[in-house]
Amino acid sequence: MKKVLGRIYILIIMMFLYLPILTLIVLSFNSTKSMSVWGGFSLRWYEELFRSRIMMGAILNTFSIAILAALIATVVGTLAVLGMAAMRPRTQNVLLGFNNIPMLNADIVTGIALMLFFLMVGAPRGYMTILFSHATFCIPYVILSVRPRVNKNTDRLYEAALDLGASEGYAFRRIVLPELKPGIMSGFLLSFTMSVDDFIITYFTRGAGINTISTLIYSEVKIGIRPSLFALSTIIFVVALVVLLFVNLRQDKADRETALQAM
Amino acid sequence: MAKKTYTIPFIIWIIAGTVIPLISIAYYGFTSRDGGFTLDNIAAIFRHDHMQALGLSLTLAIISTIICLIIAFPMAMILRESKYGKQGFLIFVIILPMWMNFLLRTMAWQVLLERQGVINAIITAVGLPRQEMMNTPGAIVLGMVYDFLPFMILPIYNTVSKIDNHLIEAAYDLGANKTKVYTSVIFPLAVPGIVSGITMVFIPALTTFVISNMLGGGKINLIGNIIEQEFTVNSNWYLGSGLSLVMMVFIIISMLLLQRFDKTGGANLI
Amino acid sequence: MGELIRLEGIVKSFDDTVVLNGIDLSVDENEFVTLLGPSGCGKTTTLRIIAGFEKPDQGRVYFEGKDITDMPANQRPVNTVFQNYALFPHMNVFENIAFSLRVKNVKEDEIKKRVAKALKQVNLKGFENRRIDQLSGGQQQRIAMARAIVNEPRVLLLDEPLGALDLKLRQEMEYELVRLKKELGITFIYITHDQEEALTMSDKVVVMNEGYIQQEGTPQEIYDEPVNAFVADFIGDSNIVPGQMADEKVVKIDGVEYPCIDGTAEGFPPRRRVDVVIRPEDIDIVPYGEGQWNGTITSKLFIGVHYEMLVQSEHGKIEWLLQNYDQHEVGEKIGMKVDPENIQIMHKPKSEAESAIELDI
Repeated sequence: MKKVLGRIYILIIMMFLYLPILTLIVLSFNSTKSMSVWGGFSLRWYEELFRSRIMMGAILNTFSIAILAALIATVVGTLAVLGMAAMRPRTQNVLLGFNNIPMLNADIVTGIALMLFFLMVGAPRGYMTILFSHATFCIPYVILSVRPRVNKNTDRLYEAALDLGASEGYAFRRIVLPELKPGIMSGFLLSFTMSVDDFIITYFTRGAGINTISTLIYSEVKIGIRPSLFALSTIIFVVALVVLLFVNLRQDKADRETALQAM
Repeated sequence: MAKKTYTIPFIIWIIAGTVIPLISIAYYGFTSRDGGFTLDNIAAIFRHDHMQALGLSLTLAIISTIICLIIAFPMAMILRESKYGKQGFLIFVIILPMWMNFLLRTMAWQVLLERQGVINAIITAVGLPRQEMMNTPGAIVLGMVYDFLPFMILPIYNTVSKIDNHLIEAAYDLGANKTKVYTSVIFPLAVPGIVSGITMVFIPALTTFVISNMLGGGKINLIGNIIEQEFTVNSNWYLGSGLSLVMMVFIIISMLLLQRFDKTGGANLI
Repeated sequence: MGELIRLEGIVKSFDDTVVLNGIDLSVDENEFVTLLGPSGCGKTTTLRIIAGFEKPDQGRVYFEGKDITDMPANQRPVNTVFQNYALFPHMNVFENIAFSLRVKNVKEDEIKKRVAKALKQVNLKGFENRRIDQLSGGQQQRIAMARAIVNEPRVLLLDEPLGALDLKLRQEMEYELVRLKKELGITFIYITHDQEEALTMSDKVVVMNEGYIQQEGTPQEIYDEPVNAFVADFIGDSNIVPGQMADEKVVKIDGVEYPCIDGTAEGFPPRRRVDVVIRPEDIDIVPYGEGQWNGTITSKLFIGVHYEMLVQSEHGKIEWLLQNYDQHEVGEKIGMKVDPENIQIMHKPKSEAESAIELDI
């Protein structure tokens, strides 16, 4: 009985989560513009989407900003974690406190604050200001995912390498970096997704004439929903599905392998 | 292992990207259009329309947070009790929508709730009268719950999944009934997850202007909308900054309250 | 055998906590030296100073008479077997052992030969391609050994290497370590909090507590003639009781006077307050009233070969720990006696608080 209730509950939540998305997917293949009348199967909205120069530009901006911001954040964040390890706990806590601000603060405040900062220093708002802002809110996530990997164990391995005659640089490259790699990777991926997903901070820090996927959707929705956005939704959903499935399967495989080796 | 100087780029970034920008909000918030010091931008929160917006924001954010909590806790417990493989799958299913741009997810509800939308099409097909669902506070709450629900489920699931089954068995063994097990073992141990879930739902809900714009049709103003308009439409950065400062105070207060809850919760465990 | 390592007046503190209070230590070539003490006694810090991971605040470290205090860890002719092994998790067994050889740019076929030899020395022939997480605790321990000896260090530092192993494996590894040390013919400096490990393997045991060396000597000396109550207590189950010299070579304990072999010449004049150690196996049971003192058995445990009993003295307050092969019942009244040479008289620890008490009397 309890199990049945549980399943029904899960089913209701799943319907709540997925029916809206499913609606978008179905409508993306609708040949008419109507949201309530099915006019037959068509791919015209996909064509329209791919023909749109503005949309393609926004997609390019979104991904190039995400990759660059994630790269910058990964380098700055990882260096910071390593440097902090050499500091006294109290200093570390102060830095971590500052690090938490962009994560805890409301996006709208972060966005406005950055916008005012750019206005004050006279930086023309555009690609670079978006990139700077994205790196700003990504760094905390990198620090959060790399920091747990720098611990007593890393220290011991590093010392073991020195004990065996390695120079400090060699020990760092061959021993410490491989140890940090999983944290660095997940910090990078987290940053990348946060950047792709961001709307509010981009909205305040972009200039006129530059768009990411999010800001473009927002301005289009304000004018009136075009079915090409349904096509975009479908594509994003499918890409997310494939990527997540891929990551999950690889994770499962890795888990199984370690489980086997443990036996 | 490494040198302290490695933190220099980070510290510069924090100063330029976080500290100075926040100071500039404070600067504009306390400055009048002619450049002098003023408290008017802060006091402007007491203007009738601003108070109304703030009140509505708080109300809708609290309602959405409570609904999310009520939906998420049983979900987290069900996830905890289901088998491992299935559990991995279910978590995957909850994470997946988060990967879709939240503007598109909000737009989906627009499509559903619109006067000419999907739900009304179904309703009229059955022969019932058309419903006005858009541009209501209800639509906004729905959008908030839809957008933020996974952020409530995941942290709670994270903490309850780590509760050692032996603790629960021990509680039963010591004569506790189901209610007692929940109130004295599971809830207290889940407090950290609940607190971070509430933070992750309440703050974006309180400060949003996107959901209210898209599902409120520009007719319902939340405090986020007021601030956004000051910056994008009225170009009154001074007033916008002043109101942002007020909003930040609300965020800080709510976080402090939540943190206290977390601490006492932790103390209760001992 | 000449002196290899010498520590002189080593002082070290961390954040205002003094960890080492002036350590002087000399280690001979080819010696098996064990630093023994409870956690926090400073033994690990001493080892890390020898390895070069910590710099002493005061004092010098010498290696073959040469001052190496400021020499970085990666240039010292010592290698360490770390607590919990510190094996590199992303490398296989071969790469772990080959690490120090690769650092020195040793040729590939030479590396292969030497890794194989090291693996043979730790009895794990053919384990080259295993991954670290495929190894049991005992195997990881051996790989850590192999990695540390492959570079033929002059001194091997071992930081509680057996601490993570279960009892049976630990005893096995004790024999292995002694064998390996003989085979390699190098110096071992070994750290442990386990007195049994220390007594079994070492040539010299250094008992440490609170940043001081309490006693240094062969295992036999440490066991038979502990210099103070701390050492006696740490080395094994014992009766450590307060006493007072009643006369020349007579000590009074708990209201009973016992002849002993220490007197003024050994630094224990009459009226001096002392600590006394009597090992539980040195107390003989005789019929009631026929010994030096009497008591009632209050509890009895059979532990393998012998019985362990607690006996409440009827002369004073002390409860004595006895070990005996014969069975006696709880509640039985017995007499006890002890040979004078089995009464070990020790000085009270010379801490300020305690010398103050002494003056009061």
